Amino acid sequence: MATVEYRRIGKSYGAVEVLKELDLTVEDGTFVVLLGASGCGKTTLLRMTAGLETISAGELSIDGKVVNTVHPRDRDVAMVFQNYALYPTMTVRENIGFSLEVAKKSKAEVAEMVENAARVLNLTEYLDRKPAALSGGQRQRVAMGRAMVRNAKVFLFDEPLSNLDAKLRAHMRVEIRQLHNRLGATTIYVTHDQIEAMTMADRIVLMKDGSIVQEGSPDDLYDRPNSLFVAEFIGTPQINSLEGRIVDDGGSPAFETGGIHVALPAGYGAHTGRRVICGIRPSDVTLDPDGPLRGTMSIAEKTGADVQFYVDIDGREFVAVAPRASYVSAGTTLAFAVAPEKLHMFDAETGRRIEL
Amino acid sequence: MMVRSKSSRMVRTIVGWAVVALFAFPLYYWMTVAFKEGNEIFNWPPKVWSFTPTIKNFEEVFGISFGFGFGEQREVLPGGGNFRMGPRLWDSIVIAILSTALAITIATLASYALSRMNFRGRHHFVSWVLSTRMMPPVAVAIPIFFIYKDIGLLDTYTGVILIHALMNLPLAVLLMKSFFDDIPGEIDESALVDGASRWLIFRRIVLPMVKGGIAATAVLCFIFSWTEFLFVLTLTQTGLKTVPVVSSTFVTSTGTAWGSMAALGAAAMIPAFIFILLVQKHLVRGLTLGSVKQ
Repeated sequence: MATVEYRRIGKSYGAVEVLKELDLTVEDGTFVVLLGASGCGKTTLLRMTAGLETISAGELSIDGKVVNTVHPRDRDVAMVFQNYALYPTMTVRENIGFSLEVAKKSKAEVAEMVENAARVLNLTEYLDRKPAALSGGQRQRVAMGRAMVRNAKVFLFDEPLSNLDAKLRAHMRVEIRQLHNRLGATTIYVTHDQIEAMTMADRIVLMKDGSIVQEGSPDDLYDRPNSLFVAEFIGTPQINSLEGRIVDDGGSPAFETGGIHVALPAGYGAHTGRRVICGIRPSDVTLDPDGPLRGTMSIAEKTGADVQFYVDIDGREFVAVAPRASYVSAGTTLAFAVAPEKLHMFDAETGRRIEL
Repeated sequence: MMVRSKSSRMVRTIVGWAVVALFAFPLYYWMTVAFKEGNEIFNWPPKVWSFTPTIKNFEEVFGISFGFGFGEQREVLPGGGNFRMGPRLWDSIVIAILSTALAITIATLASYALSRMNFRGRHHFVSWVLSTRMMPPVAVAIPIFFIYKDIGLLDTYTGVILIHALMNLPLAVLLMKSFFDDIPGEIDESALVDGASRWLIFRRIVLPMVKGGIAATAVLCFIFSWTEFLFVLTLTQTGLKTVPVVSSTFVTSTGTAWGSMAALGAAAMIPAFIFILLVQKHLVRGLTLGSVKQ
């Protein structure tokens, strides 16, 4: 159990800067997800934490101790790799017990800890198999077991679920989170999947081009994205963004684009005339015959409980989520309303959120 | 549809057997020569299937009438053919096995480092290792002869073993490096985070994964040493000789002892065959299957 601190951490390969003076504190016992598209530097940051990449600039400390030059094996971190990296010539038992054996634990102790981990992960009957004889999900659990028995200060996960099918992935999300709750260890988890981030994280760190864009709880990022980038990254279906300007609509502010007028909270009055992008989450709209967002619906997708309408509003595709009962066939004209406080306003030039 | 696939299967079978025959027939013919009497070897047309087999050639070559191979030397053929080949076969076995072991040991360690560790000039190192094989061996044979003479390695097992290992190293390093390169780096990294040292990772995790590669490389090294002619010819005198060099002594000033040569050649195939049979079970690929999901 430990706090992990990154202070002005940088990484460059020659002239290419992968991480730019990054500051981040991962509090003791929290589950932090590093989220971002591929190439944003999240895996590099994780590997630097494990000691598998050198640190070009700044200071990394684990449990108050600077570990920039500390060898991976002396950092007391456990890591689960994307492709599991199991030892193919060893059985599951040997795979899980390897780190304990290296740590010179007694045979009885190793056996007990391996059996315990296997029980928790439902691997008991596979202990004497080789990784090649396991399914993807089982291999993934062996990789988790290997990390679990370490009882390390920090757990690192590098996209551990990306090779699993959707159903298993959902199941393993829960298992990993339960494991974290039970062990209470500091966990840093890398993924590009915002659903994983939203469902598992205590805190999400959203990264782009080697920098942190926003850090906060899943709710923070969903409800108050600090930029259009964050708003578009978090949430499925993706947030609708309409470009227009803030106008004065008889004394109260409104968002205007094409022929559409949407009322805004009074606070935006100070920004009248500003060119903005209005973000509207597909799930925040309601079907309303008098609603301001009106257009011809081209596709209706049933997703189970809901239906997703793809509506052409002022020449742009607009997605809305509605209860299944409201299903109508394509070609119908639909109108939606949205509560003013649910609107996200971003500056059209910078993409930054316009705070009230 | 059915007919076509049937006929194409037949064509494939015929071509397959033709290729096998192409490779196997010379071997078979060589064996028949080993079991033929002197005159029968030169019969025209050659008797491929029906001849009177005899082990006379083997008796002569290995001096069996004097106890297997270790008896007194007997000169039968005019021109001075050597007819006590048992010890020569032994020389070949010792040299091939030990030089293979030496080459594999060094190559495995070197190629793991080349595959995994980052050091200045790593890529140049690989091409430099290869460059030692770019010179024709005959160009170095004479200098090595003098060097060996000065340091006392001439006509010794150590000398021949060293030179055979040296000749095999570049290829062995390159081959082994490709086998190590095939193992994902994450496996090393995972063990590193698990607390293992480099040596432990090499010994416990990576080495068992390249068993097949080692077997394949060993077969190549063994065969090279088993058939090498030039260095054994120049660097040995009376202390030892390997099979390829002594077979050439059957070519004498008064004729070639084809029967004896074939007998020695046939006998020489056996140890090489056994060696390959022994390592063959390690040649199975797919040991690394399942460790990582690509």
